[in-house]
Amino acid sequence: MTALALLFTLSAIGIAETVYLIRTRRAAELPVCPIGEGCATVLTSKYSKIFIIPNDILGLLGYIVISFIAALLVIGINASFWAPILKILIGFAALLSIFFTYLQKYKIRAWCFWCLMSAFTIWLMGIIIIFSSAI
Amino acid sequence: MSKTAFHILRVGLAITFLWIGILILKNPEAWTGFISPRVAELLPVSPVEAMQGTAVLDLIIGALLLFGVWTWIGALLGSLHMISVIIVAGITDITVRDIAVFASAVAILVETWPKNLLMKQKQT
Repeated sequence: MTALALLFTLSAIGIAETVYLIRTRRAAELPVCPIGEGCATVLTSKYSKIFIIPNDILGLLGYIVISFIAALLVIGINASFWAPILKILIGFAALLSIFFTYLQKYKIRAWCFWCLMSAFTIWLMGIIIIFSSAI
Repeated sequence: MSKTAFHILRVGLAITFLWIGILILKNPEAWTGFISPRVAELLPVSPVEAMQGTAVLDLIIGALLLFGVWTWIGALLGSLHMISVIIVAGITDITVRDIAVFASAVAILVETWPKNLLMKQKQT
């Protein structure tokens, strides 16, 4: 239960963050970069999309699905089906975040606060999954 | 209120409403204990159905606040909802914290209230 509460809270933070990034992108504005100055460089780079889907939309969808599954698990709807899907999803997202962090360091050579925050959010979810026996 | 403080308050309050909604849906029977008997008698639906409706309302408020879509409507609904909760449950050792949630919803409502709505009202 505690693990699911933490997962839900983290995914909600992720939703708020990605919604902010989508809004600023659609308004053709640059996001506030609280730490560092590389946000614009990273978010406008050629790596900001996977095929035609912007990474922020992909992240938003991922966070929404994670929060939805966490909610279903709390309510107790088909836990044996949803629990493994949640683990696979977070595992995949954690690996994708490692790849995006690699791109920032070695390809784009700039750091984006929001991208790193999202990566740490996902990795924290992964750590919670690993150390939790509740799921 | 600074922008950062506002967003922290908005997201925090959204998570609170969403989480409470989920917990009520998990076990609505348990939450009927918060409805005082005199109010339960006045309800047109069963206490369990009333709590399920409350859960849905909580989830809607939470979603509006989290996505920042019609934030003022979410905050208005949240404020009104918390007033009804305080009336229905009364002030106890547990529900006293509802005052903090209510105050937070009002703070967001004040920040997001559409100014043009007020101006139109004054003009007419």
